[in-house]
Amino acid sequence: MSIERFLYPRLKGPRFEDRAIPLEFLRDLAVLEEMVVELAKLEFLRDNPNRKRSPKGFTEGIELKLTAIEDGSARPIISLVVASTALFPLNHQTFFERARDNIVKAIAAAENSLPVTGYLPEKTLTYFDRIGRSLRDGEAIEFTTPTSQEAAKLTKETRRRLVLASSRAQGMTEDTTIRGCVPEADQENMSFEVRLLDGTKVKGDIAPQHLDTIRDAWNGYSTGTRVLIQGIGRFNRNERLQALESIEHICLLDPLDVPARLEELRSLRDGWLEGQGLAPPSEGLDWLSHAFDRNYPEDLPLPFLYPTEEGGIQAEWSLGPNEVSLEIDLKSHTSDWHKLNVETDTDESRSLHLDNQSEWKDMVGWIRDMNGGEE
Amino acid sequence: MTASTLLLRQVNPSWLQHGRITSQVFKPTPKDNERLSVYDGDQISPERSWGHYTTTLGHVSVGVMAVTVAECDARRLPVEPDPTPFPAHAVIRFDGFSNSQKEKSAKYLKRAAENRGWQYRADATG
Repeated sequence: MSIERFLYPRLKGPRFEDRAIPLEFLRDLAVLEEMVVELAKLEFLRDNPNRKRSPKGFTEGIELKLTAIEDGSARPIISLVVASTALFPLNHQTFFERARDNIVKAIAAAENSLPVTGYLPEKTLTYFDRIGRSLRDGEAIEFTTPTSQEAAKLTKETRRRLVLASSRAQGMTEDTTIRGCVPEADQENMSFEVRLLDGTKVKGDIAPQHLDTIRDAWNGYSTGTRVLIQGIGRFNRNERLQALESIEHICLLDPLDVPARLEELRSLRDGWLEGQGLAPPSEGLDWLSHAFDRNYPEDLPLPFLYPTEEGGIQAEWSLGPNEVSLEIDLKSHTSDWHKLNVETDTDESRSLHLDNQSEWKDMVGWIRDMNGGEE
Repeated sequence: MTASTLLLRQVNPSWLQHGRITSQVFKPTPKDNERLSVYDGDQISPERSWGHYTTTLGHVSVGVMAVTVAECDARRLPVEPDPTPFPAHAVIRFDGFSNSQKEKSAKYLKRAAENRGWQYRADATG
């Protein structure tokens, strides 16, 4: 048996620090093996134009294996493991190496917005629909080879260019998280429909383990029950979600779920309030959604959220005798806090800058105190 | 108008979440020029005020909430008829109030309106 270092991509991003690789990422590496094998066969046929197919047993005795994970963000070492050189002629190894090199060159070309089909046949580009699918914004897989030390970066964007470079691709799949309600569920065909907060409807299949949650969501449709779904979505070339290909997690949302409410307010247009009233800016809604996610503890009561005439958001809490409001400017990220105790007739006002974590901590502390003080 | 006259306020759909209205319903916005428009409940019913607001004026409203003249008096907010736009129009005046005073008054009025309940609901959702 021979074991040779074949490919050692570097996974870049906070999720991969301390040599950690999320298990979902191993699926991507498994697809990489499929792609290398398929391309190695094509390389063999290119060198042997008189043959119609690769030799029987071309891949027998050879495997790509994860043999180590090295430091430096996470770096899986993928080795070419050959069971017996008698079964696997040495010159076949070059087809696998050429396949690998062409994959890396195609990724580099996509990174630089250059044509990729000079390196990979169009039909094989669809493998990228399953490689790097779990990459998030700001993450990358950097590929180097023994022959090229310059890293080719597979990111969400380069992956998209690679998949859509194929004229056969109608769209692509991506990890996705959506929120919506369930107006339809067909238990006979085990399928259901989700209506997203912008009104778009998408269909998905019901896995047995998700049936109870989907049934609860369907029963609660008329009262506004919403679900959070994480899974793989199929998107068209215009990045519009077309269908749910598979669902990993589904749960019922709190009626006051902050991202869901902000998504709802994203549909407002200028003039929403008696012909006036500015629509909240989309990037400001994204910021506020992330800011709440990062800074607001799950055990505290969620705020009610309303748009303001000036294009901001007002968060409000009714906590015992206290009426609290936080008027948020989505552009400057400043806010005005006002608390009224109707029993003592006392009120207080403060300005808070919501890019400042210590000011979030102050606010969370005040809400916790009004909510009974338990942590 | 008397102390018990209901002052009817229309509620924009975006100012209602999960059955709760925002205190902004009772706080003048920049377009209001310190005067909060209401319908004089002695002159028009809640349902007819909603019809006037949505059909004649062409605005959107999910229903009607109300405070009384007495509740405004308690907050030192003068109420006066303003029939220029239409006969049943009146205003709650916030002139001279600081922003925190407006916030405080709006929160009191919202609580009073919530305790009184919906005077008219266009539909049952929201």
